[in-house]
Amino acid sequence: MSVDSTVDDDRSEHVTADMQDRAPSESEKGPVLLLRNIVGLMVESVRRVTEPEVQRAVGWAVGAVVLAVLTGATLMSMAGYNAGLAYIALVYGAATQVDRVLFYATPLVLTGLSVALAFKCGLFNIGAEGQLYVGSIAATVLGYMFALPIIVHPLACLLFAMLVGGLWALVPGVLKAYRGAHEVVTTMMLSYVAILLTQWMVSRNGPFFEPGQVQPSPQTPLILPSAYLPKLGSPFLHAGLLIAVGAVIVVDYVINGTVLGYEMRAVGLNREAAEYAGINAKKNMAIALTLSGVLAGLAGGTEILGYHHRFRDGWSGGLGWDGITVAVLGNNNPWGVLFGALFFGALKAGGTSMQRVAGVPIEMVSVIEGLIVLFVAAPKLVDWLARSGVQYAVWFREQRPQALPHLMTTTVSLVLGAVGLVIAFTSSTGTIMAFLFMTGAFLALVAFFRLVTLQSDGITLALFASIEWLLGAGTAAATGLVSMAATTSATGLFLLVVALLSLRLERTGVLSSGNGGVP
Amino acid sequence: MYAVELEDIWKTFPSGTQANRGITLRVQAGEVHGLLGENGAGKTTLMNILYGLLSKDRGRVVIKGEEVELQSPQDAIVRGVGMVHQHFRLIPSLTVTENVVLGLEPVRDVLRRAGRKSPGPVASLMPLDLTAAARRIREIAVENGLAVDPDARVADISVGMQQRVEIMKALYRQADILILDEPTSVLTPQEVDELFVTLEHFREQGRTIILITHKLREPMALCDRISVLRDGELVGTVDREETSPEELARMMVGRTVSFKVQKAPARPGDVALVVEDLHVQDNRGVEAVRGASISVRRGEVVGIAGVEGNGQTELVEAVAGLRRVESGRILVDGVDVTDWSARDIREAGVCHIPEDRQRRGLVLGFSVMENLILGSEYRAPFATGPGHAFLDLSAIHDFAVTLVQDYDIRAGSVRDAAATLSGGNQQKVVVARELAGRPRVVLAAQPTRGLDVGATEYIHRVLVDMRDSGAAVLLVSAELDEIMNLSDRIAVMFDGRIVALRDPEETSAEELGLLMAGHSVQEVST
Repeated sequence: MSVDSTVDDDRSEHVTADMQDRAPSESEKGPVLLLRNIVGLMVESVRRVTEPEVQRAVGWAVGAVVLAVLTGATLMSMAGYNAGLAYIALVYGAATQVDRVLFYATPLVLTGLSVALAFKCGLFNIGAEGQLYVGSIAATVLGYMFALPIIVHPLACLLFAMLVGGLWALVPGVLKAYRGAHEVVTTMMLSYVAILLTQWMVSRNGPFFEPGQVQPSPQTPLILPSAYLPKLGSPFLHAGLLIAVGAVIVVDYVINGTVLGYEMRAVGLNREAAEYAGINAKKNMAIALTLSGVLAGLAGGTEILGYHHRFRDGWSGGLGWDGITVAVLGNNNPWGVLFGALFFGALKAGGTSMQRVAGVPIEMVSVIEGLIVLFVAAPKLVDWLARSGVQYAVWFREQRPQALPHLMTTTVSLVLGAVGLVIAFTSSTGTIMAFLFMTGAFLALVAFFRLVTLQSDGITLALFASIEWLLGAGTAAATGLVSMAATTSATGLFLLVVALLSLRLERTGVLSSGNGGVP
Repeated sequence: MYAVELEDIWKTFPSGTQANRGITLRVQAGEVHGLLGENGAGKTTLMNILYGLLSKDRGRVVIKGEEVELQSPQDAIVRGVGMVHQHFRLIPSLTVTENVVLGLEPVRDVLRRAGRKSPGPVASLMPLDLTAAARRIREIAVENGLAVDPDARVADISVGMQQRVEIMKALYRQADILILDEPTSVLTPQEVDELFVTLEHFREQGRTIILITHKLREPMALCDRISVLRDGELVGTVDREETSPEELARMMVGRTVSFKVQKAPARPGDVALVVEDLHVQDNRGVEAVRGASISVRRGEVVGIAGVEGNGQTELVEAVAGLRRVESGRILVDGVDVTDWSARDIREAGVCHIPEDRQRRGLVLGFSVMENLILGSEYRAPFATGPGHAFLDLSAIHDFAVTLVQDYDIRAGSVRDAAATLSGGNQQKVVVARELAGRPRVVLAAQPTRGLDVGATEYIHRVLVDMRDSGAAVLLVSAELDEIMNLSDRIAVMFDGRIVALRDPEETSAEELGLLMAGHSVQEVST
């Protein structure tokens, strides 16, 4: 590490040599450089998949989805639906209607990108819904009021939608940057302003109300066919999908390959350091929120031009809000957003089949969406479960075969806990049986959590759960539910036996419950 | 009798860093034991294991003869272990008493009389008994010679007093084994002396003290025995009587270290930076710089000595364009740059090594590569294409690789996040970035704070090299040694003004200390 004075000269040579090297590359103008950088970024994205950090993010997302699906199954069972059938219908519905999946995903990609881009600059754009509404009304108005040649017409409409959406987000952007008004409040409030303003615009007294309707409903006239986006071989699918995929590439490039994106990320990660390095944080925040609005406006425009062909009050049904969920699931990465949007599209497309086949209301899809966000936002829970699971597995490998009863107790506790809840909710409430199964289920679940973390009181809890369970079986027999009494008493006995066995093994010291076992 | 025995401790972090590799450390009861090592040597990790904050992978922890498995700091606290962290864990808006009792909130005697030892859930509903706690704190303060005002708000007291509050927290919990993590890094020289007196007092009372430090002066002044760590391993444990600073430095770094910065006499040229009668406010709107004037010439290092909080930070930030100037002028190479934007001032040839590298110098979530172009990302060769809007990623990569080599930045790859680097290497990233643009004026604020001997030596060399290549260097440091070693002229800042200019050859630490403490020039010279 010896430094002599020549180091300094070396460095200057390096730098200047570097600059000279680069000088000709500056002449390799726009397209070549752009292409080289895009390829470079894609290679970089692929390489990053091997990084533990990225894998962890993907793991969280997948873990959250799995947990949400499991919780959803419990909820459906508790409400008396056939969860298995529902999920089969959902997957089948999504797999057989890929066009619908893509159709539902299209606007979500754009609103998801909108939220993700703002987040890269450390801003929460909660108001994508409103920006989408003003963008879509802008596209509609230009679409039905003006006659333009094909190709030019949809492009003009989309640009106008982007412009209006961007302006709508510029307001909170400027307020945030130069006046410190919190963007969560301002974007959300402006979102309601946008929704209600457009509602008035298309109402009977509004300027864009469609005249001459037999049964008046709040909507505009249809846009001219010259403004339509071309369909892609399906009644649903339209060119908006290509725009959305293009937007993923562009946004990824803007974030990672441009000076603007670099400065926005610097501000988002550490505003103070960015300002110390001479970056204008305020300007970047205003720009980021504006671009976010541009994307949301584009989402509204493509939907109108590609599918709805007119603005109807409340047409979006929360595409902007869902964008937040998609961005969260995609970890604010453009490609992650794409996958997140496809997943949500599949949920929406499959949700209708689920409703038709299993009779589960479509709202269940929203419940699962909400649960996903909850679980993504709680990575510690996913982490904790994964860690305890791994620790348990390691412990089991050291202890076997003595730990087999313990493992059985653990598994049976989990199963009986879930099943017990279902029985408790499906049997007529208020009866003694429901009460017994309910308490038994809770005991079993708590026992599971204690057992999986190798706490010795878990075994005792499991014992009590099994007794509760046997009592429940008794009441079932008394009320004449013979088959149920038989199965529940059998499983209850099984839990009792394995719990007693593990208790004995632990008491005699054959089984050491690892670190956590120390009382 | 050992107070603490750590045997064959191993700890590997999930990132793969082996922080502790088979360390065996025995601390005798009633001694002051120094734990010396560079940043990243594993000192704090080892002590966090002893304090129950981290779990060990392997090894035994024995406290007062009892082998323990610590699950949390609570387990260590009940065994009499207390720790004062480098970064204080105090709540500024609460009073000293409230901070000290945090977690052990005393409730009125009602429950205790009922025979309950630990306050149950009901206790949280009972009225707090802060007067008794304050009384207890006063008693402890008197017993231990620890000047603490129990009723003061933590936000209002000095850093030294805050540290005493942290020590008080440990004593209040009846700690007799006290771990202090880099306790002097935030203190003024006078406060360091006070701390040492306190620690001496503790030793006389039979308390065991473990002092974590990377500064050689401290263990030599205070400790009975000193253990040196390097790269997660114990190099050795030595008695103070039988060692020397040179030997310790060699053990710590693994080679011989020179303490004196080797530099040729300065050859000052034209005046590059002029500050005239500057007035600047701090974040609270109070005038922090009150008419400071200073000038720096090419090829010289001017050091600003001063107790922290006398306007140095605000002065540097104003020159860097980060703070509005109320009145006065700043000239760079004769051009008035007062109230220019930070970017324009950078363009004028001023670079700034900020005093808090993690908060202001680096974007920790960025890669090393991205951090190395922070502030020049908009310029060729990094920005290309129409309007310089696009980043040339390969140019950035090549540039980063060159700088990483030239400045000996130890990073796995230029794509690694800056957060994964050690403190010294993080600072090297900042220094490399700031100096790469061949600045004419270098503003260096606390450039070696928290760095180990090797990295400090390196950064000193780089700054002297910059001076020799014709840059004007303005150095702000709380370390008097650093100021005296590096500067060609020393300016003392007190209460927002430059109160004295001294030649480092003709002044002494004592004189500077008095000037820094606000004694007037006449008082000092007579």
